[in-house]
Amino acid sequence: MFKLNLKIALRNLWKYKGYTSINVFGLAIGLASCILIFIFVRYQLSFDKDYANGDRIYRMVTSWKYADGNEFYSQGVPLPLPAAVRNDFSQFEKVAAIQQSSGIVKAKALPGKAEVKKSESIYYAEPSFFEIFDYKWLAGNPNQSLTAPNTVVLSEKAANTYFGDWRKAIGNTLILDNKTDFKVTGIIKDNPQNSSFPLEIIFSYVSFNSKNSKDWGSVSSSWECYVLLKKGVLLSELDKPIQQFLNKYENDKDASGKVGHTVQPLKTIHHNDNYGNFANKYMPYKQIIGLVIIGLFLLLTACINFINLATAQAISRSKEVGVRKVMGSRRKQLIWQFLSETALITFIALLLACVLSELTLPKMENLFGGDVTFSLFGHPIIFVFLLVMLVVVSFLAGLYPALIMSGFSPALAIKNKVTANAGGVGLRKTLVVVQFAITAILIIGTLVVIKQMSFIRNKSLGFDTQAISLVSLPQDSLSKLKYNGFKERLSGIKGVKNISFCSAAPSSDSNNETSFTYNSSKRVDFQANVKAVDEAYFKTFGLQLIAGRPIAKSDTIKEFVVNETLIKKLNVKNPNEAIGKIMTLWGGKGPIVGVVKDFNNYSLHEKIAPMAMFSRKSNYRGIAIKLDVADIGNTMKQVESTFNTMFPDYVYENEFFDENLKGFYETEQIMGTLFKVFASVVIFISFIGLFGLISFVATQRTKEIAIRKVLGASNLELIKMLNNSFLWMVLIANMVAWPVAYIFVKNWLAGFEYRIDLSIWPFIFAMLISMSITIITVTLRSYRAAKANTIDALKYE
Amino acid sequence: MIKIENLEKVYKTEEIETTALNGINLHVKEGEFVSIMGPSGCGKSTLLNVMGLLDKPESGSYKFIETELLTLNDRERSNFRKRNMGFVFQNFNLIDELTVFENIELPLIYNKVPAGERKKLVNEIIGRMNIVNRSGHFPQQLSGGQQQRVAVARALVTKPKLVLADEPTGNLDSTHGNEVMELLCELNETGTTIVMVTHSSHDASFSNRIINLKDGHVISEKINKGRTEELI
Repeated sequence: MFKLNLKIALRNLWKYKGYTSINVFGLAIGLASCILIFIFVRYQLSFDKDYANGDRIYRMVTSWKYADGNEFYSQGVPLPLPAAVRNDFSQFEKVAAIQQSSGIVKAKALPGKAEVKKSESIYYAEPSFFEIFDYKWLAGNPNQSLTAPNTVVLSEKAANTYFGDWRKAIGNTLILDNKTDFKVTGIIKDNPQNSSFPLEIIFSYVSFNSKNSKDWGSVSSSWECYVLLKKGVLLSELDKPIQQFLNKYENDKDASGKVGHTVQPLKTIHHNDNYGNFANKYMPYKQIIGLVIIGLFLLLTACINFINLATAQAISRSKEVGVRKVMGSRRKQLIWQFLSETALITFIALLLACVLSELTLPKMENLFGGDVTFSLFGHPIIFVFLLVMLVVVSFLAGLYPALIMSGFSPALAIKNKVTANAGGVGLRKTLVVVQFAITAILIIGTLVVIKQMSFIRNKSLGFDTQAISLVSLPQDSLSKLKYNGFKERLSGIKGVKNISFCSAAPSSDSNNETSFTYNSSKRVDFQANVKAVDEAYFKTFGLQLIAGRPIAKSDTIKEFVVNETLIKKLNVKNPNEAIGKIMTLWGGKGPIVGVVKDFNNYSLHEKIAPMAMFSRKSNYRGIAIKLDVADIGNTMKQVESTFNTMFPDYVYENEFFDENLKGFYETEQIMGTLFKVFASVVIFISFIGLFGLISFVATQRTKEIAIRKVLGASNLELIKMLNNSFLWMVLIANMVAWPVAYIFVKNWLAGFEYRIDLSIWPFIFAMLISMSITIITVTLRSYRAAKANTIDALKYE
Repeated sequence: MIKIENLEKVYKTEEIETTALNGINLHVKEGEFVSIMGPSGCGKSTLLNVMGLLDKPESGSYKFIETELLTLNDRERSNFRKRNMGFVFQNFNLIDELTVFENIELPLIYNKVPAGERKKLVNEIIGRMNIVNRSGHFPQQLSGGQQQRVAVARALVTKPKLVLADEPTGNLDSTHGNEVMELLCELNETGTTIVMVTHSSHDASFSNRIINLKDGHVISEKINKGRTEELI
């Protein structure tokens, strides 16, 4: 029986090749998109999951609440916090401080291996860090390797880079910043890509300069602290001790903000965008949910195609059903027969989908800048997913048509007298409406995303971004003496227009906030974002002053330039009033000499902060070079060689400002691209489904079309008639889609402090797009129907 | 009214060519009721389709009140058809999704008759055809005879100069068949020209003239005296 059913199924698929290919292809594209989304989501959710004690690992984090309602978050903690936590909390089994920094790392030449010198992200970690996180050790062990000063642990990859082979690394020496020698005492296995801890070079924490700092007032995002909760301890049990802890250490009554510390579960580190992480990779749950919804939409659209075409086609199978019933088949058997046919189609589609996704995977890797590799069958869970998809889609798509077909009355079915409406025209129409509503939602979403992204690209940020190169400077005191000489030599290069020392570019992810006084001895009740800059900064970045002048040349804090937001927050109406007022911050004191027009100092997700700028040589981290666009390549080569001559022991690092800014919106770019791609897929699936359906309707109405033609209908009138019914459905679908899409895009845009005004145009546009594609699809097919031979249709029923 | 000369029509399939009409000459006067008879495959339905502008011949001439129709393009043929011709089919060819009233109204819509007048015309013809109490029904709720009455009503509602009937009683029992034939005769008596294709000599006996076709030729013509006299 099974063999026979299979034969009938295959022959039927072959007989209706057109519908079969629409079904299989539509389903395959939908399934392929789902597979890709699954692979992506699985990857995102797999971050930091491989630690034995993962569910007990937490990160201590910091927050500040201000009187004006503003809140700030940092993944970091004050330097003395880890030791204090270790002392005061009995609920923690282990506490570990880890500090991120950067430096020039060098390994001396070995026989057969040249000297390696690189600018690296480095870490200082307490041995307990490796007791909390169970890394696999290739050599050494956590209890010994990082206990002594001047010891370093390397990842397998780093060890291979510096010493050729990790086995040769143990006992060898790495030199940090040309000063200190560190002995390699351990090798850990490389971190996987799905880790928030890209640890390559880890120095012992006892080697860290500021390890004994008692300053509770400063927090840097690079000072992290991890704790391992004792077994059986509930999070709620921490509330009281944390409050006591805060009272004990963070009790500065004068502080402008209220400091808080909480514990953040390890598993949310990759997903919480309030706090960053060492890897600088995160994917908020909101975005993941968005993608999953799109995936479900895709699957639903593909299934709807299937149900529509299958029920529409049901009539043609009625005779077979009748005969089978007369021969004694029970309804249940028929249902299984049709379900297994659907499963067969789904299976074929699934195979095709695997091929399609395998072909698309490299594109997805490109989207992530190639630093992620995805593989279709790299994880057994994918097979489970495919199996679940097979079963779910077979039931979702196959059950309703199976119920319809198996329900035909045998007496009518055998005479081919099942009415054309047996497949549930109402349901079919509803499904088409649902499908087009989904399509419209995605079109609207895509249009809004595109518009917002282009708004971000084109919004004037208040400063120049073009042809500005940011070159990092060495931070040791000897190099600092050479800064002015370096600047002078750079000024001599043709193609360099302006040069400025600064702690950071106008918009940067490296930010410092601090409290300050204004025209009084009392601290202002909000903090200012500060930048150490030199006199040329304003010209180099094209910042406009609305009052006063730029700061004068100085190596220490002498004068201030503030931004509009700062004086507005101080209730100073006229910028000129602020000129001459005395400010103190960071231990420096001086008059405000200028007010700069507001510019976006963060990404457009966030509001412009109140800002203060001043000169302070010790804080300059880099040099910004405004270039003549004519010959950037050549100029940069000369800049590089000048750097290498001046700072031979350091590594030249350069970044273009506009490229750097793009990094702010990486997640949005990726989501935007995914949105565009999947929206196109949904549109495509909907419209091949529509084409299939209109083909069927046209065939079903052949006789009616012929009669109408005989009675004098023109081709145009017939095409209009066929279009009308579909256009109504698309119109209704758009009406359904509008409010849903509105909620979605409104929510998404709310994540941007600077955003487009949501107008009616994307909605209208989505309607126009869906309607015109409907008209094209229906017209193409119905023209053929209208042109068909009238006599044949009337003669042979 | 109709002058057909040297009409030729060939059907081609991949393997064979079939000559359906082979130099047909035929004249039909205004107000005449002509039957076309002949064995299956003799070309009678093809001739009717050509006369109804549903099919194009290879060569020949077809003049309708001095207008040559074979040179018209698709749009002109469609326009000419809807203004001048009505059709009655063996299998009624009503649209299942439309009521009796709507089915009859359809040709008027295509002729762009205003709604008010449409209603008047349809009600008038429904009255004439004795199907007033059926006007809200769907075709499937009617008997075969009633369906054919509706089809005839639909053919007549535009007051065509020519009614083309293709085996109008083929799907009906004799009682209903006779009813339909009587209806056609009544029509003819009011001046409508009718060309009917039939297998049944009984049906043909209602017409003025019977034309016999075989293998695409007209092989004989017979004047039906009884009816002609009536006509005179």
